[in-house]
Amino acid sequence: MIPTPQSDSARLITPTMLVLWLVLATVPFWIARVGLYPYLGIEILIWSLYALAFNLVLGTAGLPSFGHGAYFGIGAYAFGLCQFNVVANLWVCLAAAFAVAGLAGALVALFISHRRGIYYAFMTIAFGQIFWTVAIKSHKVTGGEDGLLKIARLPADFGFASFDLAGNVAFYYFVLMVFGIAVIALWRLVHSPYGRVIAAIKQSETRAAHLGYNVWLYKASIFALSAAVSGFAGGLFAMAQLAAFPDVMSLHQSGYVVMMTLVGGGLVSFWGPVIGVFLFLIARDVIGAMTNAWMLYFGLLFIAVVLFRPEGVAGAIMAAWQNRSLNSMRQQGGTALRLLFGGGRWR
Amino acid sequence: MFDLLPHILNGLTLGLLFALIALGFMLIVGLMEQINLAHGSLFALGAYFAMQLMGPRPPFPADLAQSWLALPLGWRYAATLILAPAAVGLVGIAIEFCMRRTYGKDPLYGLLLTFGAAMVIEEMIRLTWGTRDYVLQVPQAVNGGFIFGDLIWSTYRFYAAGIAVAVIGLVWLLIEKTSFGATVKAGAHDSEIVRALGINLTRLRLLVFVFGTMLAAIAGIIVAPIWGIRPHMGVDAVIPAFLVIVLGGVGSFWGAVVAGLLVGLAVGLSGAYASEWSLLSMYVLLVAVVTFRARGLWGKKSMLEA
Repeated sequence: MIPTPQSDSARLITPTMLVLWLVLATVPFWIARVGLYPYLGIEILIWSLYALAFNLVLGTAGLPSFGHGAYFGIGAYAFGLCQFNVVANLWVCLAAAFAVAGLAGALVALFISHRRGIYYAFMTIAFGQIFWTVAIKSHKVTGGEDGLLKIARLPADFGFASFDLAGNVAFYYFVLMVFGIAVIALWRLVHSPYGRVIAAIKQSETRAAHLGYNVWLYKASIFALSAAVSGFAGGLFAMAQLAAFPDVMSLHQSGYVVMMTLVGGGLVSFWGPVIGVFLFLIARDVIGAMTNAWMLYFGLLFIAVVLFRPEGVAGAIMAAWQNRSLNSMRQQGGTALRLLFGGGRWR
Repeated sequence: MFDLLPHILNGLTLGLLFALIALGFMLIVGLMEQINLAHGSLFALGAYFAMQLMGPRPPFPADLAQSWLALPLGWRYAATLILAPAAVGLVGIAIEFCMRRTYGKDPLYGLLLTFGAAMVIEEMIRLTWGTRDYVLQVPQAVNGGFIFGDLIWSTYRFYAAGIAVAVIGLVWLLIEKTSFGATVKAGAHDSEIVRALGINLTRLRLLVFVFGTMLAAIAGIIVAPIWGIRPHMGVDAVIPAFLVIVLGGVGSFWGAVVAGLLVGLAVGLSGAYASEWSLLSMYVLLVAVVTFRARGLWGKKSMLEA
């Protein structure tokens, strides 16, 4: 029997998660044989976590944030700076990445949470640019455009045993473990009473406010939370790259996570962002190996998705899976898109 | 105080350029409620087309190229100011044909569509011209510098600011003082009535969009000698353009012009004290204004924020 989404939303671990983890756990055994490399697996997992965190704001809350790369980057710098200046402990540094990015997100949320639509979108861009400029110009702290180098993959100390993560395969499994825990946490968050209120605010801010919910606080908190998890992913990314660069904070890279989320179908599905990241990074490597102009083809694909498939890949899969008409799915995708800039008014 | 004068003048000329860059963007936002993120790429495309036309290898058949190159530089420059935007206008037509599917839906569709288009155009620029920097030749008359009050001033900056004032004035006249402008504004306000009056709204929107893209190209040609021509110039232009519109308020013509001047002054003056951080000032300015004024300086209620 195929489980319905209703029963899934009450679960701690869903069948989809189990299947996904099992498949991901086998990746190091075959990835080299299909012409790719283990590092790609690490990258996909980290970006998936980042995109899932981003989708809390875009898909769940319906808030157009186009400067999210800032928090990913802040997490990476926080991880490195904590390692160099505070204490070289994996858990402390990851916590620092989470906390510092979360604080930055909370600070920005103070300024933007009473805004909607285009003004909200542009304020997120402006703050993203501010953080990016600061990262590039503060040579002494961040290393400027050269980046913060020589970040180490600290060993994972569980008390009873300590694992060395320097190798790509060991690090892959560590990231997979963290990814698994984070996915459970995000899944519970989205399906918690809190998550339901966020979804209600997405549908209509006015209605939620009239029901007595403090809309501002919910919008601010989901943004800060999303920034914190993005920063956490950024901390992992700093470990993966052994460095932190300002690149990921640029408007371009912030745009990529939006594209990944939308192409994958983040507006209609929890898993959309993950699908999008898979497609994007694999396309980058496969098409990128054939031609320099892979962004050209991905751009064309993106245009086609926006024009013809606003529900994204996940939407198409869900429609087939649940035997629902693609049309209803498309309407759902269209409505979700519309709400992003309609700012919560059904038209 | 007099020490500041050059920086203020510099800021004002820069501000006029920002306003010029934002002009096409503003028309499309104000009259069509569409955010054209490809604006920057079209701006860059205008500069590249102009560079190709003014360069040693113009894109014409051999004999035509001969007689083209025989023309004086000034004449070629004047012709380029018309030909390059016209070519960019053709690209604009292609984008508008795609965008048509998104009318009546949420403006986010248009925004995302043009984001994709921007990526595609920028990638095509990289493929065609590579990543190196180019220089746009300009006639001697507007090149070089002059000395005034013990300082050397660049003639081109004043020429560019003058063109900006002229183009802004012409666009204002077109929108506010002609029947074409009246129809377009009516179309943005109440498309149903305009259609009922027998006006072809589809064609009208195409015209507005193409006009907006041509303005982007003109801005690109004017700004190119100051900023240089490279693939990234599109992004360098679209962000200030967007910023100027949000700061000035969506739907306000003079709001955008004043915002452009304010941004130019902020960048110019902060450049005097901390040149490293001067680009930051425009974002700080935006945050300071939009935190307190929900719709920028003089924004009107718009579908884009509803």
